[in-house]
Amino acid sequence: MVDYLIGAVGDIPEGMGRAFQAGRRTVAVFKSKGKFFALSNRCAHRGASLCDGELSDNGTVVRCPWHNWPYDLATGEHRLDPKEKQRSFPVRVEGDRIIISI
Amino acid sequence: MNEALQGNNFYFEKAASVQPDPINPKLRTMEVIDTDFHFTPGWPIIRDYLTEPFKSRIFHYPATGLEYNPEPANEKPGVGQDTHGIAQTGADVLKVLDQFAVDTVILNPGYNRPQSIFNEPVLAAISSAHNDYLIDKVFPVSDRIRANMMVCHRDPHMAAAEIRRVGHHKQFAGVFTEFSALYEQLGNAKFDPIFDAMQQHGLVLTAHSGGFFPHFSPLWNGARTWIELFGNAPIGNCMAHLAAMIVQGLFDKYPEQKILFQEGGMWWLPDFMLRMDDFYLGSGGDIALVERKLASGERYLHKVPSEYVLSNVRFSTQPITIPKNQKHFSWLLELCHAKDLFCYSSDWPHQTLDPANWVVENPASIDEDLQKAILSGNSRKLYGNRL
Repeated sequence: MVDYLIGAVGDIPEGMGRAFQAGRRTVAVFKSKGKFFALSNRCAHRGASLCDGELSDNGTVVRCPWHNWPYDLATGEHRLDPKEKQRSFPVRVEGDRIIISI
Repeated sequence: MNEALQGNNFYFEKAASVQPDPINPKLRTMEVIDTDFHFTPGWPIIRDYLTEPFKSRIFHYPATGLEYNPEPANEKPGVGQDTHGIAQTGADVLKVLDQFAVDTVILNPGYNRPQSIFNEPVLAAISSAHNDYLIDKVFPVSDRIRANMMVCHRDPHMAAAEIRRVGHHKQFAGVFTEFSALYEQLGNAKFDPIFDAMQQHGLVLTAHSGGFFPHFSPLWNGARTWIELFGNAPIGNCMAHLAAMIVQGLFDKYPEQKILFQEGGMWWLPDFMLRMDDFYLGSGGDIALVERKLASGERYLHKVPSEYVLSNVRFSTQPITIPKNQKHFSWLLELCHAKDLFCYSSDWPHQTLDPANWVVENPASIDEDLQKAILSGNSRKLYGNRL
């Protein structure tokens, strides 16, 4: 696993996502109810950027901006079919810094 | 490049903030033609182009039925018809084309429901206003913009008059109509005035799925969900309209007429073609009793039904469904004659938008030649000098 520094806690607004280039991967990092989540950014369905999706279901789901596919922020699983899964990555906060592991 | 940084007890790399372009970069190196883009100028724009007495009496865009929109299905307000924006001007259109790597677009009028406007003369007047706005303000913006003209297809004579009025304009690529369970089959001979007028200008007829709302047909009255009304119903409706076109002799009377079906699906084609041929070869006797054959005195079709699909009918691709098994995808594409019949479409700005990524991201099923055919080649052949 390689650790990547995403930025400061304040860099991602509550309820929003941002995309980051972590090595060869593009990762969407979300802040929901004070917690951070990281999923592969490119939607497995047709390739939209999940970082532009809106959070729903009380902040537990991101919906793809193109076709509304709902992915669980914590697991990356599609809410209606867990087999349709976005890769998820561990996120931790150290001090003011957000760090993901890939 | 990621920067290596030192933490308290470890090293980590800095991840750069990025704004990814979700459109596959290969698409920006290829010609892409979008055959289904919904252009929706607001009522103040349309009203400026209305003639009297309509302009003085129609104060709002007429209601077009008991709408059922996809918001409940998507569990979110605002998701559905204009999820990805609203294009009302030529500049709006060009911005979207650049965003989605599209070179040339064929605009469709409105959100698929113009035929549901109650009063036919009102619908015809609004159609003329829409077309005049295109000619006056939208077409001059760019040669990348083409359009299907709006007509009142429920009254074939009104539609024919509009086709004759504006069909000469080279940026009209075709005529927009809708197929659904609410409208009589477009293949019926009562629509011949439309086809007569289209012959004069060599225009393609676009038949777009529409008219789901209200669904005054016994079958769809029992539907309750968006999946039934939008996901399922257009498939059967498309088959019904296409079958009528073939067996009621449309293409025997108008052998050069091309039809582009939109949003009726396509993976049903292999069964449709086999089944139609089989029934025709054993039970084609009553074809002599349809209006066009009664007029011509012919007893049968000129060729078997499946051959008309290949010679006269095309399908825009959105909303395509893609099997995970690439071998199955290849088989479907081959069985459906995708190399000749499929024309790329996005359906912008609906929630079911299909950017063209899928065409270039399945190379095991769609090789370079097929990519070019779907993205632009088949549309160029279909529309000829209208593109």
